[in-house]
Amino acid sequence: MTDLAEALQFVYGPQVLNGLAIGVAVILMALGLTIIFGLLDVINMAHGECYALGAYLAVSLVAAGVNFWLCLLLVPVIAAAVGYFAERLLIQRVFHSRDRHVLTLLLTFGIAIIAEDVFKLIYGPNPHKVESPIQGASELLGIMLPNYRLFLIGAGTAIIVAVWLVVYRTSFGAMVRAAAFDKHMAASLGVPVQRVCATTFAFGVALAALSGVLLAPVYSVFPTMGKDFILLAFSVVIVGGMGSIKGAVLAGLVLTQIQSISSLYVSPVWSDPLVFGIMVLFLMVRPEGLAGRLGHG
Amino acid sequence: MKQTLIAAAVAFAFTGAAQPQPGPIKIGVVTPLTGTYAGIGQQVKWGIDLAIKEINDKGGILGRKVEALYEDEEANPTVAVQKAEKLFQVSKVDFLTGTVNSGSTLAVSQVAERNQRLAATTVSFSDAITGAQCSPNMFRVNARAGMQSAALVEWMVKEKPNPTVFYLGPDYEMGRSTVSAFKSAAEKRGAKSVGEVFAPLDNKDYSPFFGQIRSAKPQVLYTSVAGNDTVRFMSQLVEYGLTKNLQIVGAAGTVTAQNLGAMGNAAEGYVTGAAYTPELDSPANKAFVSAFKAAWKTEPDLYGVDSYGVVYFYKAAAEKAKTTDTDKVRAAARGLDWDTPQGKKHMRAGDHQAVQDMYAVKVTSGKFKIVAKVPGTAAVGPDTCDKF
Repeated sequence: MTDLAEALQFVYGPQVLNGLAIGVAVILMALGLTIIFGLLDVINMAHGECYALGAYLAVSLVAAGVNFWLCLLLVPVIAAAVGYFAERLLIQRVFHSRDRHVLTLLLTFGIAIIAEDVFKLIYGPNPHKVESPIQGASELLGIMLPNYRLFLIGAGTAIIVAVWLVVYRTSFGAMVRAAAFDKHMAASLGVPVQRVCATTFAFGVALAALSGVLLAPVYSVFPTMGKDFILLAFSVVIVGGMGSIKGAVLAGLVLTQIQSISSLYVSPVWSDPLVFGIMVLFLMVRPEGLAGRLGHG
Repeated sequence: MKQTLIAAAVAFAFTGAAQPQPGPIKIGVVTPLTGTYAGIGQQVKWGIDLAIKEINDKGGILGRKVEALYEDEEANPTVAVQKAEKLFQVSKVDFLTGTVNSGSTLAVSQVAERNQRLAATTVSFSDAITGAQCSPNMFRVNARAGMQSAALVEWMVKEKPNPTVFYLGPDYEMGRSTVSAFKSAAEKRGAKSVGEVFAPLDNKDYSPFFGQIRSAKPQVLYTSVAGNDTVRFMSQLVEYGLTKNLQIVGAAGTVTAQNLGAMGNAAEGYVTGAAYTPELDSPANKAFVSAFKAAWKTEPDLYGVDSYGVVYFYKAAAEKAKTTDTDKVRAAARGLDWDTPQGKKHMRAGDHQAVQDMYAVKVTSGKFKIVAKVPGTAAVGPDTCDKF
């Protein structure tokens, strides 16, 4: 019995808490992705680069003497502006074509490649680091956890709740859901669909950039960092149900916990195949995912 | 027509024989000038150009000027073979050096054998070059992989006798071979292995492995992750408070000038085995570093210093042999002692591996400081070459 208690405290406890910190990061990435997909029907291949954009903006701002906490406010605003104009100037151009899926996929993929090279040109290929604003570690039920990761879990949860409130409890959220359900009907009822689309895209980009700032002190900043979370975030979106906020949160937690606990028993090389295996199973057996689409549930 | 050609060829052969040492001594350099390894090739070129300039200013080798001919290896053995063949056959170089990729060096050994010329590497680490696949025509003036871990192990067992060691490497060929080499060297000296983990390349979060490290309670952590992986791994170790009472050691490529800046204090106290650091405190090294800086506006690294040294190696061998004839220079080079910025080096006759002092270097205030010196004879290990 004491063995089990000790195993729970020293082996599983830390794994679960660590998995939670990583899970929150993945959910933040997946949320932006799933909202953009749910409303615009656009798969944003450049989402990882939006995350990198946030991290690099933080590097620049911190180097210019801006406080890290202020960056958490400033960076999403800048990124939202970038996202808004990217949607109006680029995505809208191919949005109404019959090959929308292929064209937007190629367009955002191209943006991703260009963005990565631009980061390399401006900041160089070597990694940068943003100093963590909260130092030290705390003991929680006998488990050592860095204070910054505790903050990450708290802040991430707050952001997820805020996003849910925005989508389900505000008039903007109602317009987003209406437009996602039926664009033409929403437009005929006076919803400015084009502006709602652009704003939603900007919102998704801002979310990715915010996660970039939050995670920069933990994962360091370098040109290809966008590739880090994007595959896992895509799996979360697919398993959770494309466009579903509830599904993204649920799938994000489940998948990262599976990865975290399984890494105790299997070689770390297998943790990605495990997640992708689950994703493939879902695509075969339940393609709509854990929860339904945005505006449908 | 045919007869005139033969006559011309005969005449050419005779004039060649009558004037055995026409023009300058040519050193062929096949080194990566483009691509991922271009940074290494750049140091190779800087080192060689500086040495040749110094030697020519003092009258050259055997009274002849020295000249370097460069070809881009592209870090590709197939390309290296073509370029080496071209330098031997068309440019008639007397000596060849510069290969970086260990595969290129092994391939060029055979080209040198076919052309009956000598070659040397100043960069390649693979133990096979002066071990299982040694060649009578290939020399190595730099330290091989085994010498780095030997130096590190020497320092470690002196600092912490019979330590418990945990290993974490990237999960591909380099990671597994570096960990197994260090592990076997450390266990021979009384270290106890308490666990090992191989994380995928580009792993973003190492915290899932910290439970294992914590429960294994090692005194020493050996790692061979590189590049940005090191930045994350080291920062996260500090974040989780794991660096207390834990000495972190690792491979030479783990902490470098490229990623040291991004780690800040997280790399402080890290120790690795090295053949060279510009911090080396000797008159010869100080003179070399300042000449290098004056010429190229940057500090030399181990590739630069070894490539500088190889030109002096050839000079010493040729002057001892009093000719550039392959067999005579080879005989002179075997067992040769020559001076380099790293101190006196000895070319072991049995396997053509240079014996040199090795160092344990520690990151102290963002610089690599020497904390221990391991004599070359202790670091070099047994001669395993049985081809000559």
